[in-house]
Amino acid sequence: MSLINENKDFGVIAELIPNNASVIDVGCNDGSLLEYLREYKNIDGRGMEIDQKKVQLCLAKGISVIEGDADTDLYDYPDKLFDYSILTYTLQATKSPKTVMQQLVRISKKAIISFPNFGHWKIGASLLLNRKMPVSKKLSYSWHETPNLHFCTINDFIDLCEELEIKIEKKGDLSNKKLSNFSGKNFLDSYFNEVGLFLVSKD
Amino acid sequence: MSENKIVTLAEDEPLNLDGGGSLSKFKTAYTTYGKLNDKKNNSILVCHALTGDQYVASDHPITKKNGWWSMVVGPDKPIDTNKFFVICPNVIGGCMGSTGPKEINPENGKEFATDFPVITIADMVRAQKLLIDYLGIEKIFCVTGGSMGGMLVLEWLSKFPEMVHSAVPIATATNHSAQNIALNELARQSIMADPNWQSGNYYHSDKKPMKGLSVARMAAHISYLSKEALQSKFGRNLQDKNSLDYSFDADFQIESYLRHQGFTFVDRFDANSYLYITRAMDYFDVSSANNGSLIEAFKNTQSKILCVSFTSDWLYPTSENKKIVKVFNSLGLNVSFIEIETENGHDSFLLDEPKFFEAIKGFINSTFENL
Repeated sequence: MSLINENKDFGVIAELIPNNASVIDVGCNDGSLLEYLREYKNIDGRGMEIDQKKVQLCLAKGISVIEGDADTDLYDYPDKLFDYSILTYTLQATKSPKTVMQQLVRISKKAIISFPNFGHWKIGASLLLNRKMPVSKKLSYSWHETPNLHFCTINDFIDLCEELEIKIEKKGDLSNKKLSNFSGKNFLDSYFNEVGLFLVSKD
Repeated sequence: MSENKIVTLAEDEPLNLDGGGSLSKFKTAYTTYGKLNDKKNNSILVCHALTGDQYVASDHPITKKNGWWSMVVGPDKPIDTNKFFVICPNVIGGCMGSTGPKEINPENGKEFATDFPVITIADMVRAQKLLIDYLGIEKIFCVTGGSMGGMLVLEWLSKFPEMVHSAVPIATATNHSAQNIALNELARQSIMADPNWQSGNYYHSDKKPMKGLSVARMAAHISYLSKEALQSKFGRNLQDKNSLDYSFDADFQIESYLRHQGFTFVDRFDANSYLYITRAMDYFDVSSANNGSLIEAFKNTQSKILCVSFTSDWLYPTSENKKIVKVFNSLGLNVSFIEIETENGHDSFLLDEPKFFEAIKGFINSTFENL
């Protein structure tokens, strides 16, 4: 997975999180987002990561991390334990995105979810013109080696939230570092955002 | 290298035991490595396993072998004694100098033998707490240990949460499964079935229950290894011969290996101690003092914790260690978990496992930096 690792993305996520919040980053990579949030938002952070090399990196940074799998290990947390859960660029690699989303909104008051938007115009164009699965900076794997199992578009995501009665509160536009209130499907977002980023919740 | 020290504890007040009764003026043998700093915030308490002792990083006086965790504890090791003050006591009930069945009962001048009270893991921890008090440490930076050592760590977190800044329980469980108890019972029965055991009163006899203790160790040793490790190390290889003898000698290498493990063990371990310590492990249930609730048992814990398990450990499997993680997660504690892939079975925590060492080192050093 090509992970969001530029600080500009971290900045957008940080804007969604108040100071001193408790946060779990599911698929926390080397812990750099949690570190960033610890520094700028003084969060009480936890991580979950499936790749042991990255778990070791987290441990060495003093980040509390569970070597675990978003598909199976989120059940271990009680309801609304965290203020925020974060799932960046991981949803499409889970076995069951639907269950993972349900778990995220169960264990946290609000969830921040980002994923590559398969509805982006370049992807559409690549399929249309080359008749090949798209490979880009954000989707850096060839079809035969990709860990991504469930690609979706921004509109698919919005539909799934509706089906699961998950409320979308805010949407993010990472290329312009903008956050705005969510007010339904939007032609521009689904065509021109390479990444979908949403703040969601379920009571 | 550290010298063995012995201190008498509970001089003013006796140590009350879970099973009733008490121990007063009991001895604890221990070793220390490194120096306690001025702030007294760099101590690491290492808890040994069933047949371990205080010789964690110094040569064993009987076997002359390296300390049981000499790969982990020492200068520039994962637990760096240039930085940390490491304390390792022999548990009460043990046989390397701490008060146990083979030591003299001050009340009658004779060995305790089976007059020694049945003790629990919590009793061992209460005894360790008196040692920590004696050393003038109010808050231990880290408590760690594997197997039974891990049980002691869990008990520390439950009984004295305010004294533990961080903890690393390794390859352990919150209580013994029926299978764990069964294996220990097998060991105890083999000791007690040895006529030389003499109801525990063998200390002045020429005959000691060496066969019983040796068989107990052989059985236990199998449980410390995985099927894969045994198979790849020994397979069906024959010992110093080309064909089967059609006898009950040690034809197979694995037989010869186990016999060796058994014979060498009896030189350094006391059969009665084996009975007492395995009993303490079987009785262990960290939730028992809290109406069976693990959440209650750890409700006052604030420590930063790293739990470690090993993929091929079937004695204290990953599932048992994950149970502990789940409880800590439920309480919102700062808990980390890592599962080390290895074929070395339960014994992995005593062996050269670089990824295990990396995890311990990363956790301990970063926790210390963030003190």
